[in-house]
Amino acid sequence: MADKFTRIQLAPTRRQFLKTTAAVGGAAVLSSTGRFGEALAQDANSTLVIAAPATPQGLDIEFDVSLGSIDSLGALYEYMLGYEKMEDPNAPGVLREDTGVHTDKPNNLALRGRLAESWEVAPDGRKATFKLREGVVSNWGNKFSSKDVKWTWDRKFNLKGQGLFQTAVLGLTSPDQIKVEGDYAISFNLDKPNPLLLKQQCNLANPIYDATKCAEVGGTDDPWAVNFLKNDSAGFGPYRIAQLVRGQQAVFEARDDYWDEKPFMKRVIMREVPQSSSRFSLLQGGAVDIAQFLQPRELEALKTQPAAAVDAVNASYMIWLELNAKMAPFDNVDVRRAVNLAIPRDEIIRTIYYGYADEQKAPMPYIYPMADESFFNYGYDLAKAKELLDKAGAKNLATSLSYNAGDPTQEPIALLIQTALKQIGIELTLEKLPAGVFYENVTKRAKPMIFYLDSPWTPDPGYSTYLYFNSESYVNYSNYDNKNVDQMIKDGLATLDDNVRKEKYTEVQKTLMDEAPWGFIAYPKYTLARKANLKGFTYYTSNNLRFQDFTRG
Amino acid sequence: MTSKLGLLLRLAVIRPRFAIGYLIVITMTLLAIFAPVIAPYSPTEADSASFLQPPSAAHLFGTDNVGMDIFSRSIYAPRIDLTIAILGTLLSAVVGSSIGAVVGFYSSGRGIRVWLSFAIMRAADVLQAFPVFVFAIALVASLGQSIQTVVLAIAFVNAPIYLRLMRSQVLTIRSMRYVEASQVNGLSDMQTIMRHVIPNAMAPVLAQLSVNIGWGILLTAALSFVGAGVRAPTPEWGSMIAMGFQNVVTGQWWPSMFPGAMLAITVFGFSLVGASIEVVADPAKRRQLLSEARERTARTADAPVREG
Repeated sequence: MADKFTRIQLAPTRRQFLKTTAAVGGAAVLSSTGRFGEALAQDANSTLVIAAPATPQGLDIEFDVSLGSIDSLGALYEYMLGYEKMEDPNAPGVLREDTGVHTDKPNNLALRGRLAESWEVAPDGRKATFKLREGVVSNWGNKFSSKDVKWTWDRKFNLKGQGLFQTAVLGLTSPDQIKVEGDYAISFNLDKPNPLLLKQQCNLANPIYDATKCAEVGGTDDPWAVNFLKNDSAGFGPYRIAQLVRGQQAVFEARDDYWDEKPFMKRVIMREVPQSSSRFSLLQGGAVDIAQFLQPRELEALKTQPAAAVDAVNASYMIWLELNAKMAPFDNVDVRRAVNLAIPRDEIIRTIYYGYADEQKAPMPYIYPMADESFFNYGYDLAKAKELLDKAGAKNLATSLSYNAGDPTQEPIALLIQTALKQIGIELTLEKLPAGVFYENVTKRAKPMIFYLDSPWTPDPGYSTYLYFNSESYVNYSNYDNKNVDQMIKDGLATLDDNVRKEKYTEVQKTLMDEAPWGFIAYPKYTLARKANLKGFTYYTSNNLRFQDFTRG
Repeated sequence: MTSKLGLLLRLAVIRPRFAIGYLIVITMTLLAIFAPVIAPYSPTEADSASFLQPPSAAHLFGTDNVGMDIFSRSIYAPRIDLTIAILGTLLSAVVGSSIGAVVGFYSSGRGIRVWLSFAIMRAADVLQAFPVFVFAIALVASLGQSIQTVVLAIAFVNAPIYLRLMRSQVLTIRSMRYVEASQVNGLSDMQTIMRHVIPNAMAPVLAQLSVNIGWGILLTAALSFVGAGVRAPTPEWGSMIAMGFQNVVTGQWWPSMFPGAMLAITVFGFSLVGASIEVVADPAKRRQLLSEARERTARTADAPVREG
């Protein structure tokens, strides 16, 4: 235990990073000189070096969903279920989750067992029983059993962090609704049927913890191991964390005792490189295997590099404007519609995203089942926008658009929107906010118009619309309030009949598009800039990497 | 005044680098005044049809990543940068010099005024102990992002410089006979300070002004570069560099290079002007330069004429 903490809190190892990258570069030279060279080359071959914008700020999903954290989760933890994988139809060589509706499969879903070996949903949809996999051990050597699953969900109820949303969306009101049915069996018991019951078991936000280890380290002072899980992991995933120095690097080591296929990459180094241009240069120079979150023009520049490759897949990302329905001038639906008609989406996609995005035409990710783009009626039309403003009696409008200084795409998008809105008589003041202040303003709903970039992790229309448009949701940052929509969202979450659900969510989408609580902008693609010989990239709707997917070809 | 101007012109002839400084400052001032006439495009409107175009006849300095013309923005930028820097520097000079004069006048003797002078000097020490840029960012963060705040930030970080400068001058001047004479004639301390002390202590302050304007421009640009200065799309060199520097790595150097060059040239110009004012204000330097000039003229006149 002490050794482990010592390793985690060790001083920065810039030297180690340099050693590793030097090993990657020098391995080819050394490999011809004997066994030592072969060993180094082998080592470099099975080491994945990632240039990331940030290292994990915390490792506990309950309190931290930053970029580095979500990339760590899929490596450190295991889940009850996962989606089957399929070839991405638009990106050769890339796999993605098969999240579609499959009427030929149980529960209409293409799922595969992970920690749950098999599962059964009662005909009334109110109970799901999972038979758990035996012989699985955690990174601390503790055997997996039903008490780990029970402890994991009890923790959500007790900590009241983001897990509370997970319980609420399933309709769970008490920890007693999750019942241990034996050492390797557990059941979820709901008051109403819920179509998300199985899907949520795949959600990145629901990793299963090693309850034995957590109880051991937490004791009575910290029964839910909050302090421990912030810096370390206790899970059943393929990696353990070897080092975490915030702001510098995180190192992950593959586990030899992992229950499933052993990862190809034995060691993963996630190095913090805040500037996108620096990450670009590192990949260009061959010092890293992956450069995360590059700017679109950098991705374009990499296309001409033979040693690098860029994958771009349709993703669950959405970028939109929160048009605050409780603040003037966006308390008027016609003003919201007019803004939507004046957003130059094709210009934004061409000049800012270089084509690495599509127009947003639905109030949920277009890759999700039941997403319907047919109600989009906001093609660029300034004349119609002016008409709507006249109809609303809105003349010489002046308002502000707040954007995140930490996202380099938002300022140029804001400038294009400002120029467009000026043409319909709306004077827009641009307000650049530091990242922390920006998110504070988003959650406070204190601005009339503010950018937001997000993705609902569960590929489901009920989950997505509940998150953003239910008047009681904490993520409903546009203050949208329509009781009919609330009811339809809830109805759709209380039936397993996909035909009924489709009917409900089609109506929800139609209403939302008509009432325009958002300024719909774009669906940015998930992009991965990597070395050409790195294979195995798989896209997940939670927009994170899983290191175990990667190999070298 | 006319003789000083004449002296400056003579200095410009003797030292051509001073002439370059004047030329730069005058050019930038003219650009600021006539920008609406000279600029071929709007400096604040995006045109996505021509984004990231390299320099060409249509766009002399190219365009940025939303299609704004960099030449137009670069020549509009002095309006903001110069205004902020000049206002900030003048404000700091007025406030700092006034306090410095009073503090200097009461720096010796006994009583509450001396203690107050001492306290003010220690407060100035504390202010100057902070890194200027960090201090300016903190001010902008607490007062909000606007042009007025940047002006205030520049004034605040520069005021201790003028305070010290004026105090050191006043410490010498206050014992002059004409100061004593004015008090014997019944002028109050404040009247003496305003009529006789400050006017005679202004020379180094004036020399410092030009240098500080240059630094003010740099500080404005630096604040905008980190997102704490003026708001987009206001044409301002620092924010233009910030918006364009990420493109350099992919080969689009022009969005940040041209505003960067304009910024560097302007600061250089103000430094040269500051140096020339320092020469004019310092009798010893002035005498040395003029005598050098005379010797050179004499040597030229005495040189043997080559007969063919």
